[in-house]
Amino acid sequence: MDVSELRKNAKLEIDGHPFVVTEFNFVKPGKGQGLYKCRIKNMITGAVMERTWRSGERLTPANVESKKMQFLYATGDRFTFMDNQSYEQIELGEDVVGDDRQFLLDNLECEVLVYNDRPVGISLPSHVVMEIIAAEPGVKGDTATNVTKNATIQTGYTIQVPLFIKPGERIKIDTRTGEYIERVNS
Amino acid sequence: MTLSVAERVILFDLALVEIREHFRGAGLREVMTPVRLDAVALEPYIEPVRAEAGWLQTSPELPMKRLLCAGSGAIFQIAPVFRRAERGALHREEFRLVEWYRLGADFASLRRDAEAIVARVRAALAPIRGEPSRTLPWQTIAVLEVIERTCGLRLSGQEDAEGLERVVCSRRPDLWIAPPSGSGMDVQARALSAWTTWFSTWSDRCFDPWLASVPGRGVHLVEFPGSLAALAEVGPSVLCSTGGLVAHRFESYVDGVELVNGYRELRDADEQRQRFQAVAQLRGTLGLPELPFPETFLETLVAYPLPACVGAAMGLERLIMVACGERNLTAVLSE
Repeated sequence: MDVSELRKNAKLEIDGHPFVVTEFNFVKPGKGQGLYKCRIKNMITGAVMERTWRSGERLTPANVESKKMQFLYATGDRFTFMDNQSYEQIELGEDVVGDDRQFLLDNLECEVLVYNDRPVGISLPSHVVMEIIAAEPGVKGDTATNVTKNATIQTGYTIQVPLFIKPGERIKIDTRTGEYIERVNS
Repeated sequence: MTLSVAERVILFDLALVEIREHFRGAGLREVMTPVRLDAVALEPYIEPVRAEAGWLQTSPELPMKRLLCAGSGAIFQIAPVFRRAERGALHREEFRLVEWYRLGADFASLRRDAEAIVARVRAALAPIRGEPSRTLPWQTIAVLEVIERTCGLRLSGQEDAEGLERVVCSRRPDLWIAPPSGSGMDVQARALSAWTTWFSTWSDRCFDPWLASVPGRGVHLVEFPGSLAALAEVGPSVLCSTGGLVAHRFESYVDGVELVNGYRELRDADEQRQRFQAVAQLRGTLGLPELPFPETFLETLVAYPLPACVGAAMGLERLIMVACGERNLTAVLSE
């Protein structure tokens, strides 16, 4: 594709990796060449970098698509998902799922990134609800705000929560930061 | 501050009144010329939008010059123009140019026009901007001087493609990006390509930061290297004591935003044709669509010589944007 077709969210293949344009800035000095100053994100590793292209340059669009899938179950370090449309099941390794496995609950809906017909990554909903299975007791009398304690959720992940959170309660977690958002009253 | 649509309508109305009063007061007549043309002025990096039979104008320059050839006298126009695939904080594919021509006037009169219009529009929009309009200081500086000041390179402005590469690479190889070059390009086309690529790189990495380092001022960049003359006349420098050849072209910037481009207009039809040919060769190398030669315009130049004149164009939307103290067209347009 021609560089003039670049825009935010365009997906490009660079050195064999799929990138998405996260920031796009067009500048053009005088009657000079247009410069397409972009911030791009590696869709597999999440690494961000700056790139500038010039008028006349050609780019390769990345053959990536995002498929809605449901997480079914984990066996050891293998994670099985089902395509919501074709009902086809695929198995992904830890290398693809990465740290997101901490938030994979059975039946969770997520997006699986497919690059050149190969699953290369998953993206979770921006937040998930998890149950606390263990938590340190809160220290009575400590009324200061922003004081937290360790708690463990269903998947074994340890998270910092406010002192009032007790085992058996459910909390909302931001999957991008891995941080506690709020208690969920059921 | 976010402006309502009603306020945006007022901005444009006030600005248009000021622009028209300025030019009428100076004895220029307002004209309207066709927007759809058989051929546009050839530029290496300005792409016209195809219209069913012809092209939408990228600037009203050629039709207005034909009026001047036919004896119109001093004229101005506020014209819609179209440039394909230009979009960003300071770019739209469709925008308006305030374009004006003065006959027998000195080249500096265009800079005074630009300063007067910016001052009038800033003053008129001050109540909407919500702050008193302070006087904008202006500075005039030659291209070669500001190049030396910002990156330490001493250029004569006469360098061909190889000469330019030699000088830049000797001291600032980090600023050299290989220009597009191909077998179909003659010396003039290669120089055009090298200078255009280099100027874009320098402008982005050195000049823009220099402009930004002193905000709240206007800058006239004058006396361009010959290869960047576009449609300007080349002649002895006025600013430089040695009087080397320079293009009598200028650009004006306000708060770091390019607002005006002006020329002492080239009148020699042969020279004009050669420059279009160099652009066509570069466009061919870049694989850009072939555009028709503006033959009607060139024939007019031969049959009815262009009177000695100076002309400039100012982006209307950008003018209103900077007058409002904004950095993004989104702040003033009603899109």
